[in-house]
Amino acid sequence: MQLSIVVPLYNEEQSVLPMYETIVRAVDPLTISYEIIFIDDGSRDETFARAAVLAEKDRRLRVIKFRRNCGQTPAMAAGIDHACGEIIVTLDGDLQNDPNDIGSFLVEIARGYDIVVGWRVDRQDRLLTRKIPSRIANWLIGRVTGVPISDNGCSLKAYRAAVIKRVPLYSEMHRFIPAMASITGARIKEIAVRHHARRFGTSKYGLSRIWRVLLDLLTIKTLVSFASRPMRCFTLIGIPLLLGGAVWMALAAHHALSGVSRPVVIESAIGLISLAGGAFLVSLGVLAEMVNWASDADVAKRPLEAMLRVEHGGPASHAPDDGTLHKGGGFEPY
Amino acid sequence: MNHIDVLSVIVPVADRHDDLVDLYRDYLRHLQGHAATLEFIFVIDGNFPQAAQSLHRLAQHESSVHVIELPRQFGESTALTVGFEHSTGKVVMTLPAYRQVESAFLGGLLDTLGTADMVVARRFPRVDSKLQRARGAAFNGLLHWVTGSAVHDIGCNVRAIRRHVLNEIRLYGDLYMFLPLLAHREGFRVVELNLPQSRNSAPTFYKPGVYVRRLLDILTIFFLLKFTKKPLRFFGLVGAGFLGLGALALSLIVVQRLVFQVPLADRPALLLSTLLVVLGVQMVALGLVGELIIFTHAGDLKEYKIERILAGGPDTVATKDSDRPPIAKPAVLLRKG
Repeated sequence: MQLSIVVPLYNEEQSVLPMYETIVRAVDPLTISYEIIFIDDGSRDETFARAAVLAEKDRRLRVIKFRRNCGQTPAMAAGIDHACGEIIVTLDGDLQNDPNDIGSFLVEIARGYDIVVGWRVDRQDRLLTRKIPSRIANWLIGRVTGVPISDNGCSLKAYRAAVIKRVPLYSEMHRFIPAMASITGARIKEIAVRHHARRFGTSKYGLSRIWRVLLDLLTIKTLVSFASRPMRCFTLIGIPLLLGGAVWMALAAHHALSGVSRPVVIESAIGLISLAGGAFLVSLGVLAEMVNWASDADVAKRPLEAMLRVEHGGPASHAPDDGTLHKGGGFEPY
Repeated sequence: MNHIDVLSVIVPVADRHDDLVDLYRDYLRHLQGHAATLEFIFVIDGNFPQAAQSLHRLAQHESSVHVIELPRQFGESTALTVGFEHSTGKVVMTLPAYRQVESAFLGGLLDTLGTADMVVARRFPRVDSKLQRARGAAFNGLLHWVTGSAVHDIGCNVRAIRRHVLNEIRLYGDLYMFLPLLAHREGFRVVELNLPQSRNSAPTFYKPGVYVRRLLDILTIFFLLKFTKKPLRFFGLVGAGFLGLGALALSLIVVQRLVFQVPLADRPALLLSTLLVVLGVQMVALGLVGELIIFTHAGDLKEYKIERILAGGPDTVATKDSDRPPIAKPAVLLRKG
């Protein structure tokens, strides 16, 4: 199987059929083998029933039904886990993404990129509540994570399956997939996509998520910068605190001994607090290092096999030079 | 009438138990008509030689009775888990080793199970004293306030559960009590049913320590339900609060010192604000360690709860929970029976 198309659906009963039809109409001419995976994220309307009707007739369509509403990221994670294709394309179930763009995504993957991200250049959404906050968020995400993506919120993305299946997807991390994937060393490309105004249903987003996005950003920043060496993250703050506290303590001791009339108790107390804080942070760093060491998750420890450009020398072998990746079969780089 | 082939009844036996042989006969009489085969699993949680002896004698006569003895007291969660692992029924019923509800109405629990995944009993009407009722209401009210639970009687251990529910929930510590909430979080349909409280139920008196433990339990379940996947959402909030407060106070003091020449000497506010800043940084750091743990285990922690997968094409309908009637109805969350 060459391509899997993953579509999370939540209360999108009206979009199911048009979605399916546009996907089929867009992908059939590409003459590749593909499958469509609809994920019903605990909808309370007819979404599942309508998708099930379609699945009865089409062998390429699979429908995964959740017991309850789990959220967009888990829905995508489920689709990605169950996908069989070598390339996985995700798109929103609200018809705002255009399946006709899938072809250009596949071209970029063939050129050797691991992740291709859509960029809704001409976005059809409310300016004040959707576009402006999203602009700010994208700028911030780019600055903090060091992965400058113009449009993190666009669901239309294409991945090399071997890469995305190893990227941890949980909570509301779908907004940060490029940043998360960059931990593993993925090559990321951004292309412009079409965007349509919402035809059915209502948007499931609001402005209330700013605080959560900020905290997530802190998490991502820590993970991107320090996932392979967490101790450094904590000692970076811990050691200065430790040293500062020690210096302050020494000063307080000096003042006390030399009889200068200064509030020695307060000075030494502040020194003690920073000392304790620093020591706490450093030991937390050790703990974090242990967690990392004890876990078998190698996401942050080494690049994925599928991302390596491996060339085997010798007269018998030939490395393809058409820009696609040559997967080194059985070759262990470490 | 009903379609339960094997019904497994699990009875954890601990300090508080009535005459178990009597109890068994009572349960058996009222459950017999509701399943083709019944199996009773008594899990003796700790050293109770008298109870063990009477149960062993019972097991010699009754082939449906199984007795499991734990080497020491492990707690009810472990007892239930062990009992469940040794059970074979598609439907599992947990019953207390003492009289909690009128056993004549136990069948109702199985009738209600229908399309639900779990039915929990609520003791109503109650025969307890006013004081005990108030105690229960206070506990359940607090639980409702903290977790949004809609269960009225979490202390009632009379529950009928489909096997696939227990397959997905790991019980430990005192979590057995909150099984309905955990199942609800996993996306299962949980239904509450009113059963009259047993007239023979003896009043219980708890030591003060038990109250403290119950409160801590509520705190545990609160964290488990809300923040397990996003530790920084909690620690970050609290930490940022401390940090912000401390930084504000600290800058105020510095401005006062540098601009208005207020002497720093002997001002505990300086100490307090430093403490707040350090505390805030520590809280945030703790949250980050939590996030790191989640990140490194994200592969094992599947957040999604699949009910079924429809493979495309004619006649290839595959359901994951084959024992469930194939109804694609929207989930009934918690409703009163």
